[in-house]
Amino acid sequence: MATNVLPAAATASGEPDRRRPRGSVRANENIAGWLFVAPVIVILGLFLLLPILMALWVSLTGWNGQGSPFTGKVPFVGTDNYTRLFTDEGLARRDFMTSIRNNLYYVLLVVPTQTVLALGLALVVNNRLLKGKSFFRTAFYFPSVTSSVAISVVFLFLFANSGAVNSLLAMFGISGPQWFADSRGVLHLLLGVVGVDTPPAALTDGGPFGLSWWEWLSGPSVAMTSIIALVIWTTSGTFMLMFLAALQNVPVALEEASTLDGAGRWQRFRHVTLPMIKPTTFLVLTLGLIGSWQVFDQVYVMSQGDPAKTTLTPAYLSYRTAFRDFEYGSGAAISFVLFLIIIVLTLTQRWLMADRDPERSRWGRRRRRRTPEGTAR
Amino acid sequence: MTPRALTRVAVAGLTAAALFGTTACGSGFDDSAGETTQSTGPASLQIMIGSSGDAETKAVQEAAAAWATASGNQATVVPAQDLTQQLGQGLAGGNPPDVFYVDATRFADYASVGALEPYGDQISDTGDFYESLRNTFTYDGKLYCAPKDFSTLALQINTELWSKAGLTDADVPTSWDQLTATSRKIKAKGMVPLVLGDTRDRIGAFFVQNGGWLLNSDGRTATGASPANVAALTYVKELVTEGLVRFPKQLDAGWSGEAFGKGAAVMTIEGNWIKGALQNDFPNVKYQVVELPAGPAGKGTLSFTQCWGIAAKSKYKEQAITFVEAMTSGEQQMAFATAFGVMPSRQSVRDQYTAAFPADKPFIDGAEYAQGPVNAPKMDSVLQDLEAGLQGLANGDPKNILATFDKNAQAALGGN
Amino acid sequence: MTTLADRPATPTRRGDRGPRTLATRFLGYAVLVFFSLVFLYPFVIQIGNSLKTEPDAATNPLSPIPDPLVLDGFVRIFTGTNFPLWLGNSVLVTVLATAGRVFFCSLAGYALARLRFRGRGGLFAAVIAVMAVPGVVLLIPKFLVLNQLGIYNSYTGLILPLLADAAGVFIMKQFFESIPVSVEEAARIDGAGIFRTYWSVVLPMAKPALITLTILSFQGSWNEFPHSLVSVQDPSLFTLPRGLADLVSGSLGKGTQYPLKLGAALLATIPVAIIFVVFQRHFVRDANEGADKT
Repeated sequence: MATNVLPAAATASGEPDRRRPRGSVRANENIAGWLFVAPVIVILGLFLLLPILMALWVSLTGWNGQGSPFTGKVPFVGTDNYTRLFTDEGLARRDFMTSIRNNLYYVLLVVPTQTVLALGLALVVNNRLLKGKSFFRTAFYFPSVTSSVAISVVFLFLFANSGAVNSLLAMFGISGPQWFADSRGVLHLLLGVVGVDTPPAALTDGGPFGLSWWEWLSGPSVAMTSIIALVIWTTSGTFMLMFLAALQNVPVALEEASTLDGAGRWQRFRHVTLPMIKPTTFLVLTLGLIGSWQVFDQVYVMSQGDPAKTTLTPAYLSYRTAFRDFEYGSGAAISFVLFLIIIVLTLTQRWLMADRDPERSRWGRRRRRRTPEGTAR
Repeated sequence: MTPRALTRVAVAGLTAAALFGTTACGSGFDDSAGETTQSTGPASLQIMIGSSGDAETKAVQEAAAAWATASGNQATVVPAQDLTQQLGQGLAGGNPPDVFYVDATRFADYASVGALEPYGDQISDTGDFYESLRNTFTYDGKLYCAPKDFSTLALQINTELWSKAGLTDADVPTSWDQLTATSRKIKAKGMVPLVLGDTRDRIGAFFVQNGGWLLNSDGRTATGASPANVAALTYVKELVTEGLVRFPKQLDAGWSGEAFGKGAAVMTIEGNWIKGALQNDFPNVKYQVVELPAGPAGKGTLSFTQCWGIAAKSKYKEQAITFVEAMTSGEQQMAFATAFGVMPSRQSVRDQYTAAFPADKPFIDGAEYAQGPVNAPKMDSVLQDLEAGLQGLANGDPKNILATFDKNAQAALGGN
Repeated sequence: MTTLADRPATPTRRGDRGPRTLATRFLGYAVLVFFSLVFLYPFVIQIGNSLKTEPDAATNPLSPIPDPLVLDGFVRIFTGTNFPLWLGNSVLVTVLATAGRVFFCSLAGYALARLRFRGRGGLFAAVIAVMAVPGVVLLIPKFLVLNQLGIYNSYTGLILPLLADAAGVFIMKQFFESIPVSVEEAARIDGAGIFRTYWSVVLPMAKPALITLTILSFQGSWNEFPHSLVSVQDPSLFTLPRGLADLVSGSLGKGTQYPLKLGAALLATIPVAIIFVVFQRHFVRDANEGADKT
């Protein structure tokens, strides 16, 4: 279709008649516009929109992976796959809630750490007294562009029991843990240090969604912390660049004024710099929040959910449920719950951004102000 | 039109276009539940295996190549990273490999959804397979696939480290008490006594030695939390917490055999496949194989088996059957036995096997009192969950772990 | 940043200029060097250990210097694994996906920025909405669609879905809007058609954005893992990340074999590393582009 209309459109508008009525230009633009966006629409429609609809259907069925899921032979189970995740006592709910717990701790550690680290690095790199800025910027950013799979391989080696991290710890006289074999929760370990080895009965007896309070309060497992370290290491560079861009927009005069007022460094940072880069901080936080619910590659390569399901995440669980256990309906349902979580986070972010920064509308209208023609929408 | 209305129209249009697109393109899913068009003549078989290591991969590749040359077909052996998952995608995609390993644990799942071709009656002399193996791969009264081989667990002892620890033949453990005592002696010398896989396929042997097992004899009731099992798991936990048993990951190894081969532990409990793996990866390790120490209820071990599954959707079923026929011939089974240490599934070559591998007597002897795998449908995720529990054994409560298994297993087994 | 250091150009408090500046400088460099080590030393270890023997890698994992230096790992990568095949597939997928993405995204971006057609606003809203769809929740859905279309386990299935992405459209649209419209108008008045105006007038002016998008697509499709996981299962269609993941967790036997794995991971990283070093400033732009696309 594209092939025969496109030349036609081209010749039509190619007519040398310069006083052509505007209406025909409009018509041409209408056709050309749709033709120009057609490939993208088809591809995104087929591989983004349609899949979501199909998966929604599958999540309401008990399809076991044999034959097509779109025939009458596939049992329709309604919302069973969803209730099994939330209300029905059983393995499905336990696994799902365990994965939610793991991911919550992951988010709690990853997001603040990467934000603080990124901001700190940006502040140092941006220091006008220091040279070699571009080298350091490159060094910090490089891990972000490499393949997640390749980096996971490197970290598997670093965190091996006799690997680099433990050799490093040994230099300081610390005997490191057996990272990927250690399913103990960090919070449990900390409690153990202060003498709480056996959980109080009140915490083991019950708890929401089939996990006891004690299990909810385990903290990330030692194995999970190595994945957390990997993710912080790879993403901080990207966020550092964002902070760097924001810092460069802080007017020098403003800072000088505050210096004249005799404000100390910390005060200056707290009262001048931080408010100026607030939008970026906010952006980094929310992007981090959204991204950290999607952790999959690292889990697939490094731990496959082991040990003792402590590195299981919803994304990996949905994959495993579908492709290993043939419970495609259940797997799709997990995907949808995850989808909802992420969408809610995204919408919250957009809403808050629009709220905080009213003159800059949601889709970067800031740039549009620079365009000569106002390009009315 | 307002932008909002426009969005709605655009989305609706997109959806319609996309849906139309798919129906027009037809379906890649193969809906015909029954016959797949068969191709005669030279076939191009895809064989997917879940390999125990390079030794097995090479041996199967060579055997397949030999068959291909002799029969004028093509055969590609694919060692799967994760057989279950890759097979699952293949089956759901309507494009499974023609021939693949089917583990006894997953057999019922595949057979119950019609993914397997029941070709048992077309294989020669099926009566020659051990009866227990035939039963394992029978579903609805039909023998679905030919047993590939079988294995049992035994205890391997690194003889060099053994004498280094000042131990003699008298120290070879034949009971749980002796296992504990000997292990303590080894630990006192600063070595790791026993490396044990943290899975039900190893730890389960202790259940059997104590007279228990995960399911009752008809496989319909979960008996995980029976006193016998709890006591057995408590014993294993004691070994772990005392530092007498280490899991492979704790020794930087992917599996026990690797840790054992590297000399990271003095003993291990593995099946006969360890022979081929050690020969291949660690040819200098000197070791001896003995039967597993008996528990309070006597001797006990686990047996494992797989069969050569043929996909119901294969285009080359006829050729695939001749391939399986070739792979399960007594002669070929002996070749596999030599290469990677499995035991032939045909009784007719049993004597030949024991004559060729006298050192493997403990494995063969184990067949007498071995417990077969759990093979009920829908049990895989339940067993996976048990694995997770076992991985956390050092800090977990044996009774809880087993009770959780019972709860999940009973739900999966349903009312039958 | 001045928040951590006094700028010498600000002669306010003369007293603390000398020693304090020096201390700040020293501290600043210490922090920078420390974190450079944190961020780069893993790569050094990777290179070093890929050239070691296995026992050496196991006993001296921290040392970057192989002793003895052996190429066994790399020899095995090329003889014992399907690495060359994965490499070929990755190159094919990356080249086609990048070319497609750049072309289709710039087409659509141009239309959304400049052509006045019915439904444009709605379409752009849809593009924005689609950008928010997280990739990992599409694993099962994508598999279903590829299957339904009959292109599961084929090059088509591997490449086609990668040919367009919403973020690319967004970047191009933003860029086209920043180009003065007068140039196009001149071309139009000279009688050039819409496609020709786009192709030979606007596109050449969009070079910086095109380079950015090319790099972004190259990096994205070279590193793409989840998609190849659900779109193919035939090992002859594996791309590098898929093959690498396979190598790490299984088919190689269950041994550790770190030199080999690190070497393979290293080879998979090199192309992106080269592109990164050469087009560094464009990468920096990407990240800031990301800052704008919320």
